[in-house]
Amino acid sequence: METVFEHVTPYIGYVYPNETELPWSELIVIYPYITGLVAGAFVVSSLHHVFGMERFKAVSRFALLTALCFMFFAPVPLLLHLGQPTRAFNAVLTPHWSSAMAAFGYVAGFYVCLLLLEVWFAFREDMVALSKSKKGLMGKVYRAITLYSDDVSPAALETDHKIARILAMIGIPGACGLHGYVGFVFGSLKTREWWSSDLMPIIFLMSAIVSGVGLLIVIYVATCKYRKVVPDNDAMVGLKQVLWASLCVVLVIEGLELLEIVYKAREGIESVMDLIKGPIWAGMSVQWGLSLFSFAALSAMMVWKPNGKHLVILLFICSLSLMVAVLAMRWNVVVGGQELSKTMKGLLIYYPTWIGRESMLTVLILFCSPFATLFLVTQLLPPWEDKKSHATHARLVTSKSAHQVKTGQGQTMEAH
Amino acid sequence: MMILPSEEEMTDQDKQKIEEDAFMSRRGFLGLLGKCTVCAGALVTATSSANRVLSGDKGATFQQSEAQHIESLKNPPKIPDYDWTKHQWAFGVDTDRCIGCLRCMEACKAENTVQEDSSHHRTWVERYVYLEGSDKALVDSQADPKNIQNVRSETKFRFDNRYKDVKVDKAYFVPKLCNQCENPSCVQVCPTGATFKAPDGVVLIDATYCIGCQYCVQACPYGARSFNEQRGTAEKCNWCYHRITKGLNPACVDACPTGTRVFGDRNDKDSPINMFIKNHRVQVLKPEMGNAPNVYYLGIDREVS
Amino acid sequence: MHKHIVRLLGLIAIFALISIAARAFFTDDSFYQYGHYRGNSPAEIASKVPKVKGSASCQSCHKGIYAEWVGGIHRKGTKDGSIRGLVVKYGPNCEVCHTAAAGNHPSKETMPLSIEDKVSTITHLKQHTHATNVPGKSLLLSPEDARSVCLNCHEKMPGRPLEQKQIEIERHAGVEMCVTCHNPHSPKIDFASVPRLVAMQKVIPGNAKAGKEVAKNCAACHGVAGVSLSPAMPNLAGQHAVYMDGALRAFKSKSRDNVMMSTLASGMSDADMQNVAAYYAQASCKVTGGDKSKIVAGKSKAEEAGCAACHHSRGLHGSGLAGVSASQVWPNLAGQNADYLASTLKGFKDGSRYHSVMTSVAKTLGASDIDNLAAYYASVNCK
Repeated sequence: METVFEHVTPYIGYVYPNETELPWSELIVIYPYITGLVAGAFVVSSLHHVFGMERFKAVSRFALLTALCFMFFAPVPLLLHLGQPTRAFNAVLTPHWSSAMAAFGYVAGFYVCLLLLEVWFAFREDMVALSKSKKGLMGKVYRAITLYSDDVSPAALETDHKIARILAMIGIPGACGLHGYVGFVFGSLKTREWWSSDLMPIIFLMSAIVSGVGLLIVIYVATCKYRKVVPDNDAMVGLKQVLWASLCVVLVIEGLELLEIVYKAREGIESVMDLIKGPIWAGMSVQWGLSLFSFAALSAMMVWKPNGKHLVILLFICSLSLMVAVLAMRWNVVVGGQELSKTMKGLLIYYPTWIGRESMLTVLILFCSPFATLFLVTQLLPPWEDKKSHATHARLVTSKSAHQVKTGQGQTMEAH
Repeated sequence: MMILPSEEEMTDQDKQKIEEDAFMSRRGFLGLLGKCTVCAGALVTATSSANRVLSGDKGATFQQSEAQHIESLKNPPKIPDYDWTKHQWAFGVDTDRCIGCLRCMEACKAENTVQEDSSHHRTWVERYVYLEGSDKALVDSQADPKNIQNVRSETKFRFDNRYKDVKVDKAYFVPKLCNQCENPSCVQVCPTGATFKAPDGVVLIDATYCIGCQYCVQACPYGARSFNEQRGTAEKCNWCYHRITKGLNPACVDACPTGTRVFGDRNDKDSPINMFIKNHRVQVLKPEMGNAPNVYYLGIDREVS
Repeated sequence: MHKHIVRLLGLIAIFALISIAARAFFTDDSFYQYGHYRGNSPAEIASKVPKVKGSASCQSCHKGIYAEWVGGIHRKGTKDGSIRGLVVKYGPNCEVCHTAAAGNHPSKETMPLSIEDKVSTITHLKQHTHATNVPGKSLLLSPEDARSVCLNCHEKMPGRPLEQKQIEIERHAGVEMCVTCHNPHSPKIDFASVPRLVAMQKVIPGNAKAGKEVAKNCAACHGVAGVSLSPAMPNLAGQHAVYMDGALRAFKSKSRDNVMMSTLASGMSDADMQNVAAYYAQASCKVTGGDKSKIVAGKSKAEEAGCAACHHSRGLHGSGLAGVSASQVWPNLAGQNADYLASTLKGFKDGSRYHSVMTSVAKTLGASDIDNLAAYYASVNCK
């Protein structure tokens, strides 16, 4: 039989003939997930740099690096997905502003530059110190990235901090734009019943923050384990609070969106209910199940205020489940929305491919890459503020700045 | 004929009378001049807009600025023997006539080198069947796996006769294609400007500029668009633009053996499409979307969307 | 300002300048001309060469068939042939049943590539539609395939408007091919235009006078004037010449097997056959008559079975002569010997004799039907 049935998505009911190939699949699921992680990590770093919350000091620079490393890989799934990736710059040359997607080139580009600048300003003191202490090739590299300036006078550092703060301030609406526009890409489409919603940009943004904070917790705990350091308790408490607060908002708004669809019961509601009970039932269970479980656990933690090791373990578990939950949410939105046919008379059932350009293997490689990059970047620019940090040590040795951290005395525990 | 008294004999009264009899006084003349200017101005505006209406110029098309609109009128693209300012294409489908033979699909796939499988169609036909006693239509298209199994190939197009031995209350075929909307959702969401609404009514895709993001495929409410993997670009019916600009009909219109598909120029009073719209009560698909489609259907039922 | 800030700003400025310059350089000149798209694009799209050519393009080589098609119901503007101002299409044009002229016709060169085709190397599958016998390409093979071309439009299917002529193929033709009775280019069985395969046999002029000499050898069984002496032997007088000629040739080649006739026919030359056929054709026919009690039943059975489609001078719906076949190739039945007719039908039914149409028709007949039909046609006026 001369057929090309391999790529045809099986379906029930009636779907338009052109719908039997889903246009957006795994790569478009991972893309908002990665940008979401960026937004979330950045928000944590801003809480310290902009709002002056000292409890996040231990993780703020690390959060910046996380945001940067994941941001490098944000455009990659899109590039791999395009039918003509060599023409990708057409969207930057002649952006069609009525399309939310045209914003991507500029917003993402702007955001990468913003993150680079902020990292540069936040780490400049360390970079200068390292440029002096390192020899050979690495020394040259450091000197180059400091733009051959070794000015670490108090005035210069003061300016640095001011600029970093301003950049962080710009970065917050920037993050909202970066992730909000993705929500708008979906929410503004009147064609797809499962996507079309005014709340979509907010849902995407808030769940991005949840996933980003969760990611930060997971990596921070992991790296502390690797470096054999105790995670900073203030930071953990602070992160717990941010996670819980954003999760509250997410649950309310996502619940509201679902409720509105069911309540309004427009034409085609039977198909929507069949979609929920059918192809995306597993995904919805993962998303809501894990979210509610984490919400319960976090609420308990808010009440009973664990500390130290208990806090770390519980928070780690919650963060991991929330990361999975948010990924499930992205899947449910992107793939689930396409599984509901535009005819409102049929449902498709999507089975992901495992190997190929657009496949789970690609997604896996794509998702592991930022972690690898982050590891390398932390070798280049160590963000840690504690005793074990090279940079701190170097700074201590060379700088006479009043910004020196009082080391050797341990850190006092702040009340939370 | 008036015999004027000689100048010497003219009294003041005479002079006054002559003055009154004269066509108009100076003041009157200036007043008239002013009125003429105003009227002329109004007339010029009126006739130019009347001219625009009469010549079929509906103003700027979707997302076209006024300057671009004027440029498209003054400097149309160099298509031999064709001026896009003179045409407004539209399409009609008379579903009372469709026999579901799918020759239109064949012709389209041949004419436009559409991918030869069941997931890529620029046009297709749907079958709606109401079994006896049922109020809900059973819908299938030629891409239905059972129809493909029946003919043992994805490249041969045939509806199977599965309702042969079943009691059927009502059944009909509905051909579908791109509606070339006035407010196309697909054009709105294209990030690069690869798809656009041409002033003569067709929504075209610039296949050398499209980056293949498939946002337009998502945005179309009618499922008219698909992604051509071999070209890496989006694709859809364009009413055989390369044929209609040469005075031919789209391939599907020529292929249809029963006269289901109607095509023509709305600027031409006697075109088949104008007769079609004038003589029948026509409707469009999914009007609530606000896209204002340009394919007019006759004889479709409430279930068709 | 601090020197690192100055250097940073400098870097940013350079980067910005390069970006702006690149954007201006790489953007197509014709962009934004008519809208947010490349102004050259509509002309490029319009320049693609059309592939489907239209029926008129076939005319230059296929004049005869084109003429048939133009006059036939597969082409007419409307059912009654008039052209109205509204929707005018009725009937498929050449490329609907045969492959599109571009790319699949054996004599045409490859169509020049258009801009869309240049972008990739799509090759269009050759068996796109169901062409008939194109030399060098075995595109249409089995009778099933041949029938499927016609059945695509004419198979009875719910959803098809009743104005469309539809058939249930088993009841209509059994296993028969459509082209046996219908000319696909002018399929309405109007006996002015004979079915295609049949028309391929030319009308044969024979010399009746010369044939009279040959007929002397036949008189022993078939009578001097072609009215046979025995009820089991067929009358030849007034029979169609083409049919008889065909029958003789079939006997000679043994595709129709009768020991006596095959031996005799093998001794006849082609000219002999044509002449004797011509002679008998103009001989005066005689009505043999049949069992009167069966005539009425036979007549109604003939109507039911549709014998008139072929064995009636004006076909199924016209008013003309029953039993006188519309085509020269089909035998006249009027006034033929009833026994002979009955044994012929039985021969078709049991398979000892084969004909593409008659075999499937005979299979639907019962024994009494055969007798009734034979009686009916035997009594029909043959003049």
